[in-house]
Amino acid sequence: MTPTETPRTGTPDVPVRGRKSHLPVVLDVRGVRKQFGDFRALDGVDLQVHETEVVAVIGPSGSGKSTLVRCVNQLERIDGGSIHLDGELLGYEHQKGHLRELSEVRIAEQRRRTGMVFQSFNLFPHMTVLRNVVQPQVLAHGADPGEAERRARHLLDRVGLSSKVDNYPITLSGGEQQRVAIARALGPNPRIMLFDEPTSALDPELIEEVMAVLRDLAAGGRTMVVVTHDLNFAHGAADWCLFMERGQVVEQGDPRTMFAEPRTTRLRAFLARTFGPERASA
Amino acid sequence: MGSAPEHVDVEHARRRHRPGHWVLGAVIFGAAAWIAHFAITNENLEWPVVGQYLFSAQVLQGLLTTLVVSVVTQLIGMAIGTVMALLRLSAFAPARWTATAYVTLFRSVPVLLQLVFWFNLAYLVPTMGIGIPLGPTFFSASTNDVITPPAAAVLGLSLAHGAYMTEIVRGSLTSVGVGQRDAARALGYTPAQTFLRVVLPQAVRVSIPPTGSQFIIAIHGSSLVSVIAVSDLLFSVQNIYERTYQIVPLLLVAVIWYLVVVLVLTFFQQRLERRFSRGHLRDAVARTKSRRPEAALR
Repeated sequence: MTPTETPRTGTPDVPVRGRKSHLPVVLDVRGVRKQFGDFRALDGVDLQVHETEVVAVIGPSGSGKSTLVRCVNQLERIDGGSIHLDGELLGYEHQKGHLRELSEVRIAEQRRRTGMVFQSFNLFPHMTVLRNVVQPQVLAHGADPGEAERRARHLLDRVGLSSKVDNYPITLSGGEQQRVAIARALGPNPRIMLFDEPTSALDPELIEEVMAVLRDLAAGGRTMVVVTHDLNFAHGAADWCLFMERGQVVEQGDPRTMFAEPRTTRLRAFLARTFGPERASA
Repeated sequence: MGSAPEHVDVEHARRRHRPGHWVLGAVIFGAAAWIAHFAITNENLEWPVVGQYLFSAQVLQGLLTTLVVSVVTQLIGMAIGTVMALLRLSAFAPARWTATAYVTLFRSVPVLLQLVFWFNLAYLVPTMGIGIPLGPTFFSASTNDVITPPAAAVLGLSLAHGAYMTEIVRGSLTSVGVGQRDAARALGYTPAQTFLRVVLPQAVRVSIPPTGSQFIIAIHGSSLVSVIAVSDLLFSVQNIYERTYQIVPLLLVAVIWYLVVVLVLTFFQQRLERRFSRGHLRDAVARTKSRRPEAALR
């Protein structure tokens, strides 16, 4: 890790788990609403993420968890509520006592402080692996090309792909593509990483290599929001867990407590469907 | 039956007979031989006359006109097509209506009619000028001086061409997955960077084959300009055979030149396609620079 990256807390080998309320709030989502036609995707969602926290967002398909991270990254415009990143309101500015929409260019500047990893990787197919990681640093962040390449090689090495820098994405497996996508998102050293179901499009045997990278980032003190179907990751690596259903946060808390003693029948039913009844009651 | 016998290796098995291929081959070679025999023995083709006019000044002048008109048409058509495609994909409804109206109008009216219309524009608008609409005019000239026959030719062909190019560009742009735009935006690319660095390079790859076809159509379309007295390749050979009555050999001269132009164009199109196919064929295939890369993917 470079010295500019987020410092870790606790000892390197045993990261501190649980809510880190003593650290500053990086992401502050309040009462966010989002509607697609008649479908209410987000219905008043609140979420605070503190520095170095790993927050897992779980829930059934269509519960709004992907929409939530897409709204944080402003790929979707919210209909109501507010999102602050490091205390700065996203998408709007105060002007003469009114709130005004920001221009696309200003929004692009705000997006540069968040890193996003998609379910379907979305690497740029016409560029080599190296260029996929270098170009965003240079274009969007004005990094020096030589420095950007050095950092790209370092990040690709960290996700175990230093031998594939000159390959085109099509020649890589899904797991490798997703690891490049993670390196690409890390390139500009974002304040917070957003993962939108990063392993849902992968063959079962390729999931582990991507989850290993996520656990590595979590252990390194990276602030992250991970939308996932992987309850083992939520249980084993997340500091905080949100359970969403029908656009609302039904329950949230320490994942180990939540999974052991779900307070709501909806979470209990979800865990039973996912783990099987024996595991949930255990 | 029973257990499989040992030492069986299908590597040296004989290939299956394909009688259908023999029959089809015989028909194809027979037809080719008949065409070659006809071309050599039929006196009416007058090959010496073809040779005499193939490189004559008038024919080469016509060829040059054809090339200039088609290249200019193609360039203006591509510019119009890109702008109109962006308007068609705009979030602003009146912009979409404008582009749709343009495409509908110019694809519906035959190109020949459009050419004759522009040629006769002076009947509709006798003088043209630069100024503020419904306001003062700073400069004005007779329409017939501005819209000369070559100008009418380029104007008519480009506007018609632009309508077809709009659809090609629009199709190519929409073929780039929405995930690509999402990824670029998520990384903080501005709208211009998203379009120029991510969407456009991928759209160009898709648009090369239909654009190549459209260029060939532009070359052929340029032969229509002979009706408004622009002496292109076809017009030049017609001019000659109206004097000499050697119709067939002179038409053959035009055939040969059109063939040469399209062959050269196709050659460059293939090279361009290969260049833009980077990242879309497996690495090994791209490296061997196979002449038929798609075959290696099977």
